[in-house]
Amino acid sequence: VKRATPPRWLESLLARCLPRDVRGRSILGDLHEAVGERYAAGDVRAPLWYFWHAIRIAVRYAPANLFRYSALEGTRMIGLAQDARYALRTIRRDLRFFLFAALIIGLGIGANTAVFSVMSPLVLRPLPFADSERLVWVALGTSGGMSSVTSRTSNLRDFRSMSQSFEALTGYYAFFEYSSYNLVGDGQPERLVGVDVAQDFLDVLRVRPMLGRNFTVEEGNWGGPSVAILTHAFWARRFAADPSIVGSSITLNNQPTEVIGVLPPSFDFASTFTPGSRVDFLRPFPISDETDRQGNTLAIIGRLEPGSTVEGAQAELDDINRRLQAEQPGRWGLGAVVSGLQEQIAGRFRSAMVVLAAAAAAVMLIACANLSNLLLARGPKRQKEMAVRSALGANRHRLVRQLLIESLLLALCGGLIGVFIAFAATRAVAGTSAISIPMLHAVSIDATALWFTLGVSVLAGLLLGIIPALQMSEGGEAAVIRESSRRAGESKRHTRLREVLVVAEMALACVLVVSGGLLLRSFMSVLDVDLGFQPAGTMSWRVDTSRNFESLTAANVFYDQLVANVQAVPGVEAVGLTDTMPLGRNREWGLRAKGVFYEEGQAPTFFPRMVDWRYLEAMRIPLLAGRYLNAYDIGESSPVLIINQAAAERLFPEQDAIGQIVFINGDQEWQVVGVVGNVRHQSLEEASGLEGYLPISQMGDWGALDMVVRSSVPPATLVQNVRAALRATDPTMPTGEFQTLNAVVDRAVSPRRFMLLLLGAFAATALLLAALGIYGVLSYSVTQRTAEIGIRMALGETEARVLGRVMGRTMALASVGVGIGALGSVVAARLIGSLLFGVRPTDALTFSAVMSILLLVSALAGFLPARRAARTDPMVALQSS
Amino acid sequence: MTSPDHTGDFEQMVLLAVLRLDNEAYALDVLSELDARAGRRVTRGTLYKTLDRLDAKGLIDWQVEEAGPERGGHPRRRFRVTREGVRVLKTSRAALFRMWEGLEAKLGRSPS
Repeated sequence: VKRATPPRWLESLLARCLPRDVRGRSILGDLHEAVGERYAAGDVRAPLWYFWHAIRIAVRYAPANLFRYSALEGTRMIGLAQDARYALRTIRRDLRFFLFAALIIGLGIGANTAVFSVMSPLVLRPLPFADSERLVWVALGTSGGMSSVTSRTSNLRDFRSMSQSFEALTGYYAFFEYSSYNLVGDGQPERLVGVDVAQDFLDVLRVRPMLGRNFTVEEGNWGGPSVAILTHAFWARRFAADPSIVGSSITLNNQPTEVIGVLPPSFDFASTFTPGSRVDFLRPFPISDETDRQGNTLAIIGRLEPGSTVEGAQAELDDINRRLQAEQPGRWGLGAVVSGLQEQIAGRFRSAMVVLAAAAAAVMLIACANLSNLLLARGPKRQKEMAVRSALGANRHRLVRQLLIESLLLALCGGLIGVFIAFAATRAVAGTSAISIPMLHAVSIDATALWFTLGVSVLAGLLLGIIPALQMSEGGEAAVIRESSRRAGESKRHTRLREVLVVAEMALACVLVVSGGLLLRSFMSVLDVDLGFQPAGTMSWRVDTSRNFESLTAANVFYDQLVANVQAVPGVEAVGLTDTMPLGRNREWGLRAKGVFYEEGQAPTFFPRMVDWRYLEAMRIPLLAGRYLNAYDIGESSPVLIINQAAAERLFPEQDAIGQIVFINGDQEWQVVGVVGNVRHQSLEEASGLEGYLPISQMGDWGALDMVVRSSVPPATLVQNVRAALRATDPTMPTGEFQTLNAVVDRAVSPRRFMLLLLGAFAATALLLAALGIYGVLSYSVTQRTAEIGIRMALGETEARVLGRVMGRTMALASVGVGIGALGSVVAARLIGSLLFGVRPTDALTFSAVMSILLLVSALAGFLPARRAARTDPMVALQSS
Repeated sequence: MTSPDHTGDFEQMVLLAVLRLDNEAYALDVLSELDARAGRRVTRGTLYKTLDRLDAKGLIDWQVEEAGPERGGHPRRRFRVTREGVRVLKTSRAALFRMWEGLEAKLGRSPS
């Protein structure tokens, strides 16, 4: 043990809390002796022990002694402590004002803390993996659907063996949502979502299973043992967090699968890589020739060697790809675009987050301006007090400090309220799965957020306090002498100051409301987009059977029976099957028209969907030419497909597409029998690419199916009956996963809605605060000028004229604010340009509507004081002055 | 403030502990005495505050002993119960006895 005495700083801190006489010193001595014995006994926790006991004693003695002058004697704290106690007294005298003001500033601080917390895991904090800055995303290319960014497993194998820049390369099967696993066992049969990951996936991310172990090399081989690692959420939900599940076997798709581990709660695969979805377990994905034949399937993630850069890795992979292409001229699907993993996950949300942060900051500024104004209005009341203090010897510095301490206390109290607001807000956000924004699960008010709140509170306290403090403290004793005189010039100057603040508030509010308005218009245009299908009145079920069919015919018979059973449910109008619901997944296959030569790399790709013959009609996707699929398009007949309008125009420009032959991913011929309308399949904002519909009855290459049911009965009744019909077809089929198509559309617009709601709330707060500001200023000036108004009215000015003058002042202030705000909005709208859809940043309708609203609200805010002025009784006014 | 004739339960315990230590009580010893005899584990803060209170009521007083480096040069206080303290203890013991009298049937004999 090195030192046998307690930490000096701690001892002197404790001494400040204790009585300054022998009592206090003997207490210090007792502790000193006791901790010395602990040191002597070799107790390594001795300092901790001292700290703990010092705290316990300090808590008992501090209230009586900390603010005693004797405790602070000789320090610069003494004046500060006096000021703090004085400020507390001032606050107690006018507690209601203080609480109201704290609430206003609390709203501003709460907004900032909430936005900070949402941003934090996405933009500010590194990803929740060790040395995450070395993790990179290796995409095949930069644009297009998922098939254009995922790679063949042979790419991963070759990159692993040839590159030097990476410590390790791994990946996961990006199309995992197409496959599905039925869990049968205790309780209801349930459909699970599992992700196939390369054997070393967790190692590369440096994630350790919380229970059990990682995949072994043998398990990562083709045909290796069937094992799974459960996600923490699934383990807690389905197995009630029972640790003994590790090592036991569960039945997935009729196959016994050993649970070998459980992931830690800190690693939420879905929230990190595929926000808005759900993942229940990981399984090993073989990097082998067998999986290579499946084409572009792998999302590759790499960990750079220490010292390697993204650029260096890019250059190396480019070189490797050139060499591979030269050695194997027939090889397809080579390519690599390296980018930081954080950038890949969070990049596209960054601009939205910056906008939100700016909006929250603006709300905060408005709240500060508002409170400055309120404090200024109290100026005359306090000026007498200030004069007395300065007559008693306080200099201006001391007065300003006093007033700033008051505003700091106000802001800190507001900060406390803000933390509660932010806490509620983040709880709501983190708990939802309806928003497809990554890392939302990690949103919380943590220590960093609290420090941030503290910083923001102090800043706000200084910001809102400085102008009133400077104004109130000026004048000194002179103010008392001049108290009886009207101080006309000074008063006018102060009024001007307050008006400037109101104009600033109005301008900021205008910027926020215009931005909110533009986002609202964008949101409405997105909802107005022609989806290409009709979601209303339609629900979808995930229908996965655990059966293995011997032949395509057997599968067709089973699914025909299933559809027939559902079709028989009362109120059902149409039923269809597809392996790809709109607005979710995507993939790309090659598509060539027969007899057309395509340049290297110029061959079109399309988004294939396997459907049954009833699907297109059930979704009400309109037929433009030819025919829909029908019950005779089955295995034995010649393969047919239906393409969308975009595909017809691209493949067969100025020709009739019907009857044409196309090749899909190879040499088999498919005949186009129909052309249907384009469907928004990726997102509402993006126009459709080339699409095709292949009959599941001819094409066995699909993993799992969704069933769409169009009906006229309310969802609750429908759900019961459809579930019964599904169970009648296959008792082991999970039937718990269903949704309305409107919910699917809702999920697709959820980030936009999230943004709109937040910005809308900010804009509404801003507007309210600005209106309060206008009201406050005019109300105050009417009160101040009661005598003047009284004289004017005694001399014959009419009520209407008084009303008109006050309203005129109101509208003048509002107009200047709105004018400046409109200019600011033009700049702001350009900044949020990337978030807009179907509306120009300078949309005249939005601008004029917002400006009218602001002026109208201002008029309302000004009307109350104006009416009061007009109702002034000249006699009363003159008497009171 | 409480009248000196009536002390709280814990204050009484502290007075008794000081007496038990032959009127040569240091704060740390009082702490261990309370723990050992009465099973009362209290924080140091509580003990010091109680000692201050007893001092203010005049039920204990203390003498200062200068101490060496093992206490970082800080003094040590040796507590003892004042005459007034002894009187208060006697009064409250008498009161307690009167209250206990005749309750043996209901509460049983005391273990000693």
